Amino acid sequence: MKLNELDLFPYPFHDDVYRYSNNSVLMDKPSSVEITPNYLEEINLKRKLLGSSPARCFQSLPYAKKAQWEVLEIVAQQLADSYPDKFSLDKKGKNWVFCNTLLNENHSFIIGDDSTLPHEPLDFIGRHVQEDLILMMQRDGDLYLDAGQLCFPANWSLAFNLGMKFKEIHNPIPGFKEEKLDDRILGFLLRVEAGNPWQRKNWSLMAGNRMDTSLETYDQWGKDRKKVTRENAGEFVYLRVEVQKILRMPRTNGILFTIHTYLLSLDEFCQNRKWLEQFYSILSELPEYIAEYKGLSMYKDQVLQYLKDKMKRGD
Amino acid sequence: MYKENTIPVVVKTIQIETPFVKRFTLTAENGYILPGFSGGSHITAYIEGSEGLLERAYSLTSYGDNNESYEISIHLSETSRGSSSYWHRHMKIGDKLRISYPKNYFQLSYRAKHHVFYAAGIGITPFLSMMAELCERGASFELHYAAKSREFCAFYHLLRSKFPRQCHFYFSCEKAPKKLTYESLQHHPIGTHVYFCGPESFISSFKDAAIALGYPYSSVHYERFTARSSKSAAPFLIELLNGETIPVSKEQTLLEALLEKGMKVPYSCRAGRCGTCELKVLKGEIDHYDEFLSDEQRNSNSVILSCVSRAKSEKLLLEYG
Repeated sequence: MKLNELDLFPYPFHDDVYRYSNNSVLMDKPSSVEITPNYLEEINLKRKLLGSSPARCFQSLPYAKKAQWEVLEIVAQQLADSYPDKFSLDKKGKNWVFCNTLLNENHSFIIGDDSTLPHEPLDFIGRHVQEDLILMMQRDGDLYLDAGQLCFPANWSLAFNLGMKFKEIHNPIPGFKEEKLDDRILGFLLRVEAGNPWQRKNWSLMAGNRMDTSLETYDQWGKDRKKVTRENAGEFVYLRVEVQKILRMPRTNGILFTIHTYLLSLDEFCQNRKWLEQFYSILSELPEYIAEYKGLSMYKDQVLQYLKDKMKRGD
Repeated sequence: MYKENTIPVVVKTIQIETPFVKRFTLTAENGYILPGFSGGSHITAYIEGSEGLLERAYSLTSYGDNNESYEISIHLSETSRGSSSYWHRHMKIGDKLRISYPKNYFQLSYRAKHHVFYAAGIGITPFLSMMAELCERGASFELHYAAKSREFCAFYHLLRSKFPRQCHFYFSCEKAPKKLTYESLQHHPIGTHVYFCGPESFISSFKDAAIALGYPYSSVHYERFTARSSKSAAPFLIELLNGETIPVSKEQTLLEALLEKGMKVPYSCRAGRCGTCELKVLKGEIDHYDEFLSDEQRNSNSVILSCVSRAKSEKLLLEYG
């Protein structure tokens, strides 16, 4: 994804020091998804990936079907409400018609009847939004990843995580368990209420501008990390920010987790002097265990040198 | 403070269920369909009473996918000067109010092999949607329901016709009085989950009996509706480890007072929910307003969410600074 306008980039930091935390905030205007100027480009890429690697990009467990329909309903309704010039949702009893004018597509289906859709409900609506969609079902006081469409993962695998509990999924994050962040964030998620969705931002660095950095294809993109130099970092290294939204689904009491991925090259990012300076502070102080987990240990020094050069030049 | 988004609704019908219970149907003011909900859900209703805004939780007693209306059932409390009295004496068809989105803190267990509901009086309300959901799933359940008499037993006829095989009634003031006791708790098969709802004394005695009989904690569920106090905030002082004392005025939060002094307290939601701004308290009594800490943490009086909670005592000594 390339953005010419820095204005659209969701700047992820609000302090000169970064640590893992629950940095969620209540959303001023509740929403599950957002349309950006890269819509067509990203939807095409998504659909290409879903066609070529379906098992990597969509997974579901049979008992999550009712909740999948609720995801479709929430997302389709919000698209129609937030972007009435681009989408519409016409409901006549159980007969619904969803129109997407950006793609010039009309879909008629019977709500709750799987046979009337070309794909499973979550997979279907996911093909109309830039976000990855993850469905967590709440059962006996825990959250389980029971369905998801994931085309743009930041080095994780949906097929591997399917059916896992929240804490099992987050087990690899260093310090997460030791600092009881897993308990705290699970407790927070269990208390998220319908009508009051939350948002958080997560960040990492990427060598290259690939959106689909799945664990399964690490062999293809992971080696680019070795190619970063002080000279090429500006155009080769990207700041990757995920805007994550957390919504309670009232009918099935599940959690819908949407992830919108943004990439911005360091050259573009550094056009904002304040961002450059703050990011330099963060990166130079960043503990090794976080750098390692975010996959930037291998080229952190090169990026720091690049940022330092930028600050000296004052441009 | 956490201010939730609400839905404007209109009172569509009012029906008399028993001499003390009225049923109210609510529809969306704009005519839209209301959000669906799962068995055991409730809403918070906000009404303007004579003594200010009243905020009360009521179980949703209807159930179904097509939610053109919600139904709640309210018992007139004899001592009530507030909410239930307002609903019974002043609420009219066509009156407008705001309600929260459906919330569920009394969800059905997924691993239960058999579900048993114990209700006393108006405690029946959450079980109506839970039983309807189990019926839809084809799951196994039963109800034990205590009331004074048939006349005072809300939903008696509905329950008898909808779930004839699953309902057991206990009427304490009829000619042949029958009392609901712990006896039946001894006869449920392994894998049973029990759910209790009713007056505080009923819940705690049945819960204790179930635990004493050897039910695992995770198989015992109950719902209490406690109204959160929203009394006006008072000023207090905080003392830091470095000896500095900082006043917190009644208009500001503890977090705001610390940030104003340039202290870098981590925070995020400012609504008492994410847990980021938690601080350790060494001395002083805490007035908790958060939705994050467990009861155990709350009672320990040793941690505070600085974005919403305050001091009960004049001063709090924080392990900070």
